[in-house]
Amino acid sequence: MPALFRLAFDRRLPPGFAVIGVSRRPLSDDQFREMMCKAVEEFSEDTKVDPDVWRGFAEGLFYVSGDFNNKQLYQDLGKKLEEVEAARHSGGNVLFYLSIQPSQYATTALGIGSAGLNQGNGWRRLIVEKPFGHDLASARELTDELHKVFDENEVYRIDHYLGKETVQNILAFRFANGIFEPVWNRRYVNHVQITAAESIGVEGRGGYYQEAGALADMIQNHMLQVMATIAMEPSATFRAPSVRDERSKLLRSIRPMTPDEIGANTVPGQYGPARIGGEDEPGFRQEPGVNPDSQTETYAAVTLFVENWRWAGVPFYLRSGKRLPKRVTEIAIQFNPAPLHIFNGDSGDTAPNLLIVRIQPEEGISLKFLSKRPGAGMNLRPVSMDFNYGSSFGERSPSAYETLLLDALIGDATLYTRQDMVEASWAVVEPIENVWHETKHDFPNYPAGTWGPQASDEMLARRGHEWRKP
Amino acid sequence: MSTHLSPDRILGDLANLWANLGKQGTPETGMGVLRACSMTLVVIAPPSEEFSALQETIKNLMPEHPARTIVVCLRPEAKELSSRINAACWMPFGQRRQICCEQIDITAPEGSLGDVATVIAPIAAADLPLVLWCRCQGVAESSEFERLAKMAEKVVVDSGAWPDPAAAIQRLAELHARGITLGDLSWTHLTRWREMLSQVFENPMYAAHLPEISRVRVRFSATTMRVMARYMGAWLVNALEDAGVRVELTFEPGAKEPGVELSGADFRVELTREQDRMVTTVGQLSNQASLPEYTDCSLLREELSILRPDPTFERALKTATQLAVRRET
Repeated sequence: MPALFRLAFDRRLPPGFAVIGVSRRPLSDDQFREMMCKAVEEFSEDTKVDPDVWRGFAEGLFYVSGDFNNKQLYQDLGKKLEEVEAARHSGGNVLFYLSIQPSQYATTALGIGSAGLNQGNGWRRLIVEKPFGHDLASARELTDELHKVFDENEVYRIDHYLGKETVQNILAFRFANGIFEPVWNRRYVNHVQITAAESIGVEGRGGYYQEAGALADMIQNHMLQVMATIAMEPSATFRAPSVRDERSKLLRSIRPMTPDEIGANTVPGQYGPARIGGEDEPGFRQEPGVNPDSQTETYAAVTLFVENWRWAGVPFYLRSGKRLPKRVTEIAIQFNPAPLHIFNGDSGDTAPNLLIVRIQPEEGISLKFLSKRPGAGMNLRPVSMDFNYGSSFGERSPSAYETLLLDALIGDATLYTRQDMVEASWAVVEPIENVWHETKHDFPNYPAGTWGPQASDEMLARRGHEWRKP
Repeated sequence: MSTHLSPDRILGDLANLWANLGKQGTPETGMGVLRACSMTLVVIAPPSEEFSALQETIKNLMPEHPARTIVVCLRPEAKELSSRINAACWMPFGQRRQICCEQIDITAPEGSLGDVATVIAPIAAADLPLVLWCRCQGVAESSEFERLAKMAEKVVVDSGAWPDPAAAIQRLAELHARGITLGDLSWTHLTRWREMLSQVFENPMYAAHLPEISRVRVRFSATTMRVMARYMGAWLVNALEDAGVRVELTFEPGAKEPGVELSGADFRVELTREQDRMVTTVGQLSNQASLPEYTDCSLLREELSILRPDPTFERALKTATQLAVRRET
């Protein structure tokens, strides 16, 4: 709702735009408006609730209550849609956004279909949030259910990482400039590290998280999508099918691991208790709602290889974890060292060339290289050229949800995940998950506030690499 | 009892600080600020620290070694960890944009260095070296210190301020043995002395007298120079040993002027500090060069210039440890 309000604030929504909230809880339209006003005030990070804008926006807020398993709900929703269409001349275009339990996606979509709400005067689209299944078979099953009601081009699987400005900027960075693509390949890139670190724990979501784990919660979706954006081939055009085809192709080029390879190329972890900044922090197993013997991973690190001519032999290291030292999401592309070291050890640093794409916080791009320190002798030091979104453009960046919702409204699916991408991601992740589930892990294996298990460092060390400390 | 200090909050405050500084102008108009950072410099200050002097030292270091400086102030009266951030800016001559460095001051109760270490790891600047300047002898001797030291590319101490030189050298040798790259301002003090002595023996005529040298005398005055004297002795023993010369080394505490003398049957080289000059005497010839008093800033500037391990220092430290043991036995 904050994202929609911001779009209204920026006059990006048409005058007849309306939102119909649907849930079990009985509420009147006015009560719903009041609740949404509070939510917008609380969660809008940088948008003050202008009373005049809010008044106009709130006139388009409506509410229907009911049980998603009851067909009556969809009849009521249909009536409400007709009323709103008549009253606000919305043109019959309807976007259904399912922000509900994933287990309810299929039921709800079928309910929408049973009431004929998937067809009307205008377009009909459906947004669903991750997780898109819990393995390859369930992802396919979900897709089959959704396709009974909506065509694939009407299904928008939202992954908010792809809506972030910096992730979109990867495409601009790579394909709008001539200087990077020539070195964007196995000849020049030594390896790639993608880190999505959270400093917080499960924050009351222990019950949910226990069922998911870092691999399914982060790597299967967000991180593989980011990897696909970094590694994909240039698309012929910047149109949704073309860009999504390339992303999908890349995901399908990732070599799935055999069970034998999984031990050496993946590391699960779970945080234990620790004292951080003067406060005792609980381990995952001490979090409310978590089984004291839980085998769920709060950290996952994987080494992936892309089997194509561009990337053959280049390791892509992905890691994600909770209770790591800081909240940061970054992509680091490490380039090969100079072929000949004419400045020997006496000359100082041998830090590698790095291109860092910071997704959050402080979105931007940095290029690290060695430079001579001023003064006598040839002493080298790493220096950095930085581009920072916050300071380079004097304007606010839209939130990921603003971008993605607006895209869905205008029918641009470029930044949404397609069925074949979901399946390709599961094909990579499922074998790992299967092995991890069959293994009794010696958890916890990293203290909260550290960069993960030692085994993760060893995984990189086997190839002569080491994790950055972002 | 200390309360929580959130690294994310500190980083958020830093981001806001730069966003606000960035609003002061635009690159096109030549206004605004440039954020400069070539390392993370962590300074551990003792409770007795005179902060205005320390602040002045940091400020003077920044143009040559721009850094994210984290000053950890250990205070017995502090009940909790707290932090404050600010930016130090300067206007380079002839330019219209200020250059700014960020500083994070962390106040911590004494004995909470372990808690501080968990905060420093996430707030250190990524991909840049971290240098730890420990101005607190008690801290350097603690076990918690090693956790912090292991994060650093280099740890700089001033063993001259430690009351027991033998213990100071022993502790530094222990840290070195654990793989920590060290710098000691007591050693940095000797750079000019070592240069001057080396220059003497660059002359082939004097180098020919090297085998004649049989005695080395190191004189020092203040108690703060005891470690320095041992380093000088150790370095000379090593250097002469490399030339195939074994010498008898003696230390003379309480001398009026600090100095060093190398002597043999018919050959003598002496370096003496006289106020702000260094007097070099070779046989009957004598020469004077300027040798201004060192400041923390000038010493640290030199230490920060080279972050890699210094094999000459490490060897001198090892020899100094043996000298200390020999003296004790």
